[in-house]
Amino acid sequence: MTSIAEREARPGFSPLARLRGWLRNPWGRPRFLVLVTWAYILWSIVPVLIAVQFSFNASRSRTVWDSFSTRWYWGDPVDSVWHDPTLRHALVQSFKLAGADVLIAVPIGVLLALGLARWRGRGSGLSNFVMLFPLVTPEIVMGVSLLLVFSELFTFIHTGTVAQILGHVTFSISFVVVIVRGRLFSIGRQYEEAAADLGASPFVALTRVLLPLLTPAIVASAAVVFAISADDFVISQWLSQGGDTDTVPIRIYSATRAAPLPSVNAIATIMMISTLLIVTVGFLTWRFFTRGERRAGKSAEDFGGAFNLT
Amino acid sequence: MARGEIELSNLTKEFADVRAVDGIDLHVPAGEFFSLLGPSGCGKTTTLRMIAGFERPTSGQILLDGTDVAYTPPHHRNVNTVFQNYALFPHLNVYDNIAFGLKRAKRPKQEIRERVGKALELVQLSGYERRKSSQLSGGQQQRVALARALVLNPAVLLLDEPLGALDAKLRKALQLELKSLQQEVGITFLYVTHDQEEALTMSDRLAVMNGGHIEQVGAPQDVYEDPETLFVADFLGVSNLMEARIVNAAASACKVAVDGYELETRGTELDVTGEAKIVIRPERIELETHGSPAGANRVPGMVERVVYVGSAIQVIVRAATGESLQVLVQNTGGGIPYEQGTPVQLHLPADALRVLPSGIGDAPSLKGEEQVEEPAAAD
Ligand SMILES: Nc1ncnc2c1ncn2[C@@H]1O[C@H](COP(=O)(O)OP(=O)(O)O)[C@@H](O)[C@H]1O
Ligand SMILES: [Mg+2]
Repeated sequence: MTSIAEREARPGFSPLARLRGWLRNPWGRPRFLVLVTWAYILWSIVPVLIAVQFSFNASRSRTVWDSFSTRWYWGDPVDSVWHDPTLRHALVQSFKLAGADVLIAVPIGVLLALGLARWRGRGSGLSNFVMLFPLVTPEIVMGVSLLLVFSELFTFIHTGTVAQILGHVTFSISFVVVIVRGRLFSIGRQYEEAAADLGASPFVALTRVLLPLLTPAIVASAAVVFAISADDFVISQWLSQGGDTDTVPIRIYSATRAAPLPSVNAIATIMMISTLLIVTVGFLTWRFFTRGERRAGKSAEDFGGAFNLT
Repeated sequence: MARGEIELSNLTKEFADVRAVDGIDLHVPAGEFFSLLGPSGCGKTTTLRMIAGFERPTSGQILLDGTDVAYTPPHHRNVNTVFQNYALFPHLNVYDNIAFGLKRAKRPKQEIRERVGKALELVQLSGYERRKSSQLSGGQQQRVALARALVLNPAVLLLDEPLGALDAKLRKALQLELKSLQQEVGITFLYVTHDQEEALTMSDRLAVMNGGHIEQVGAPQDVYEDPETLFVADFLGVSNLMEARIVNAAASACKVAVDGYELETRGTELDVTGEAKIVIRPERIELETHGSPAGANRVPGMVERVVYVGSAIQVIVRAATGESLQVLVQNTGGGIPYEQGTPVQLHLPADALRVLPSGIGDAPSLKGEEQVEEPAAAD
């Protein structure tokens, strides 16, 4: 007993009406949002894919495709990443900074997070706030101030690798603190109390219960620190001493201002893939350690919440 | 030698803006199943946490087998806790959860294996050693939490609403199991609950708490039959309250006047004169047909509403004294015996009527309150 008006309103007659019906189906997934998401993903990934493609170009052009080759990675005896000492140094320097940054910033950040989460009372609110400072300070301001500090205050630290590491550690710690503290809050105090109840001293409760439970957050923050350190340009640049202490981003920047070769794309690709690998390992570790919690329907808010990787 | 005697004296805990526990005195002899019963927010958890050592008392003493442990850190106390949400370590399996305390006590491997095995047997979970806590049902997790605490042979086991997260049927079954487990191991159980039925079924004795202090301590039937305050009368099941004027009060029996009707009640030790309240449980009121011979403690009334509850039938009767009284009639089959508007006669047996002075613990409205979310910090 459908009336004519109703029948006409039904989707499926013209293609346009069908599209509108598909978009507006209130029982299905929010398709409009899905479309927007895919559009964004395409938009952001296409330039990256093009850059990667030209790192495998056989000719010296970064814009006209010739044929596939690994020349710019190791084949070219002068200009490949492997044979050009400036590029190779930059790669080594970047990994050195990122590695040292992880090794220093993560332990300090974990301790700070523990301290800040357990410290209630006067001053705790302020220090929690100060902790966020490096996250909101423009990097250029940070770089300039650090340079001032090293050239005026702590003059025994010269620009170069050590200063660069200190600079990276300075802003990385905040990320570690934020991630680990989020996990600490979602864990709550109950497991520590249960451990104490069963006869564990505070130190044993920390090592046997709290640290294992924090492992996913610690691994996640290590991956994040590695990624942001490898990505950093401003602070590395301000604290560099030229030449040997140039990192990959600095080298790419200066190369593109001269006559860039596809080797720039190659080194960028190497950087990107290593960072991606490390973040993936971090993510998988997080998934592995929290699989029980997720099955139980509890929320694991640290990695997933902070970086929307679930 | 009996272990597990608890003595609290003038125990007080103040948080920034609330006095959660307000000078509690309590004695629990060794081996007793003792419950702290009260509405949400009355300070039960805080009391328990002070005994466990997670909170530091503001003042007062906690004697465990005669020693004051009020300022001993939790890992040095011979008490163990079953947490409301169990707090099983998610990164450890069942075996390692139960063995955790024994490993901290540096027991030999062989002994640990035996004791964990026995504890698992005790809670009927043998064979679940390798499971993670996330692979267990709520009831099983609860048993693991029990085993984890009991395996250490504590003098006292503290339980904070351990059945609160389970469904009604499982809860009933576990109530009985917990009780027989306690009799089997013979240690003191200090059990916190807001469920009056749970407290009445399981406890040897119980304390009714309200606003940080204890209203009454006693065996379940004493507290239920002989409530000393309005709060207790009301919190432990539905109570009918009537305004009364004392005619004469004595230890053997009292006479009160309720709106012109003179009623005889149980005696009272309290020194009451003038205005008072009398209470009676719904199941103790007897309904008689209209026109039955009038007599002592009988008041006419009219049926206002009849509610079918299942095992019983609830009849609301407007008494001639003006109060609306709830009467519980056993459902013996044969349908609903009364209908709205039927005139009846109420028999309020003298031994079921109790005089309570107005003003003491005067907070009957708390009863039946929706359980408020407890602050996360409290658990
Ligand atoms: N850590 C805390 N900080 C501040 N107030 C608290 C804390 N723990 C409990 N309280 C307060 O103390 C009172 C008693 O709480 P609690 O002992 O948890 O009650 P119950 O277990 O009987 O529901 C409540 O008013 C609660 O808000
Ligand atoms: Mg509580």
